[in-house]
Amino acid sequence: MKNSKLLILLAALATAGSLVACAGTTTVARVHPEAVTGMPDCTECHQDSWGAFNHKAPDFMLKHKVFANSRQACASCHAEAFCADCHAHKEEIKPSDKYKDAPERFLPHRGDYLAQHKIDGRVDPASCVACHGRQNNEGCKRCHR
Amino acid sequence: MNSHHSCRSLRAAAGRVLAWAGGLAAGALLISFPAGAWAAPEVSAESTTILRLGNTDFPGSKDLYPLYEYLHLSLTGAETKGNSLSLYFGGWGRGDLGDKSFNDRYTDGDLQYGFLSYRWGRNNAVANAGRQFVTEGVATQRLDGLYLRSDLGAGFAAAAFVGSPVNTEPNVKADDFVFGGRVTHSAAKYYTLGVSALRSNAGSTRYREEEGVDLWLSPVRQLDVTGRSSYNSVTEGWMEHAYTMSLRPTDKLQLFADLRQVNYRDFFYRVTTTALTFQDRLIDPGERDLALGGGIGFTPVKGVTLTADYRHHDYEIAREAHYYGGKVALSFPEKFAAGGSVHRMDGGSDPLRYLEYRVYASKSFGPADLTLDFIDVNYDSTLSTNNVRNVFVVTAAGAYRVTRSVTLAADVDYSKNPDFDNEVKGMLKAVVSFDAALEGRGKSEK
Repeated sequence: MKNSKLLILLAALATAGSLVACAGTTTVARVHPEAVTGMPDCTECHQDSWGAFNHKAPDFMLKHKVFANSRQACASCHAEAFCADCHAHKEEIKPSDKYKDAPERFLPHRGDYLAQHKIDGRVDPASCVACHGRQNNEGCKRCHR
Repeated sequence: MNSHHSCRSLRAAAGRVLAWAGGLAAGALLISFPAGAWAAPEVSAESTTILRLGNTDFPGSKDLYPLYEYLHLSLTGAETKGNSLSLYFGGWGRGDLGDKSFNDRYTDGDLQYGFLSYRWGRNNAVANAGRQFVTEGVATQRLDGLYLRSDLGAGFAAAAFVGSPVNTEPNVKADDFVFGGRVTHSAAKYYTLGVSALRSNAGSTRYREEEGVDLWLSPVRQLDVTGRSSYNSVTEGWMEHAYTMSLRPTDKLQLFADLRQVNYRDFFYRVTTTALTFQDRLIDPGERDLALGGGIGFTPVKGVTLTADYRHHDYEIAREAHYYGGKVALSFPEKFAAGGSVHRMDGGSDPLRYLEYRVYASKSFGPADLTLDFIDVNYDSTLSTNNVRNVFVVTAAGAYRVTRSVTLAADVDYSKNPDFDNEVKGMLKAVVSFDAALEGRGKSEK
């Protein structure tokens, strides 16, 4: 039994190794070769699939969770801290404090959110989960015990 | 039964072991990389010091002056044949100069991320070890552990992760061991289809078991569809279907539509905050929300965007709600930005009937910039708290770039809300940064 499991494991590793060897793709650039300022319209330069990343698209915020599956592409322009500001534990620095100097960016918590969260929370509580479902809960615990 | 129980206990222990294993693997990666590659690493570092000033009416937290220090650091060794090794670190600490701001503690801090990453020049292959944020299909997960990803042959790619989940301040028992992965197939320019799964345990308890499919589809350049469906195997129900379609018939015009169905019982099954477990029954835990939205964006000239949008929430238990409005935005990076929006919410209860206005402007004056932002929510009837009908906040923010690496900033919020007739908050910020990636190459945005 042990031998058969070992053989299966070795076969899986060999198959995976062969598949990796066969891929032959070139890794996306670690740093975007052109400087990008503000929110880019990727279609200005990219006529291929990268154009879909157009940050100025009105629905980009809705789609970014799917694009985030291509983290290496995001990382060519964004530092790791960019994701962490909302999606990692950052205590009480609300997103309303983020990009106050770039108000054109879409953020879910502009302004005083203590009053509005009761409203938004009833309308669409699922939208809270990605950032607050399992972390960033300090503010919640004050009232929700 | 005993052996089954023991097996799960072992898995929980494995989570803790893997957290350490992540650290050990990180060390191994560090040691195995040619020493010469670290001779002149590309360094990006940023220190942000923030002092917030404000008042609250929470017991024991009246006068708040929390002082924060955020540190972010990345080191990347010289590339050899396109391969590179990087170290990423981000964390923060807080000290309260006034009353305690949270948790009965005057000081606090956390590691946001800290991992070693080895990127191969071929196959989009990467290996990460340490505390990291994994986004692979159903997994939007911070963990202490390992992550591997590579393109395979014939358009396939695969990713896998394993470790100890990072949950902060849970109200309820959280999981301690998680693993999962995602397999995709792509045809460049046309589609990426993904299948993913995640499993986690809390001690001997099955905690999360989620499977999902995700897609990006672009049969023609002007059209793309993105979305994801996820299934909860513990509750045996669909958690969510969320799909968005974007159509860009011309460079100036964009149409979009989205659909999202959420089954609350399955979706919120393993959140760790009581704010989202609906114990207060303000929201029925058995609720189901089908949201349909859409809109149109028009760019008459570069830098100007007009948007109209609509969203309809059809609840199975609560009454439906409609949210619709428009926005005008002017955006000229590093020079000027301004915009305004008006939205109307029409829902089935008083708090869900309001008009929402926003006006903002931001202007650069050489090394300085100034921003004004006004948000107003005007309810049809008085809110239940303190009979407030109109809620607004106005913010003034300014920043001055002392040198290329040093920026000083400050902002003041003035608001009227159900908790305060007149609330004033302030923030002082100093940012010191060094980013080698900016030196003649693409920008690394924070």
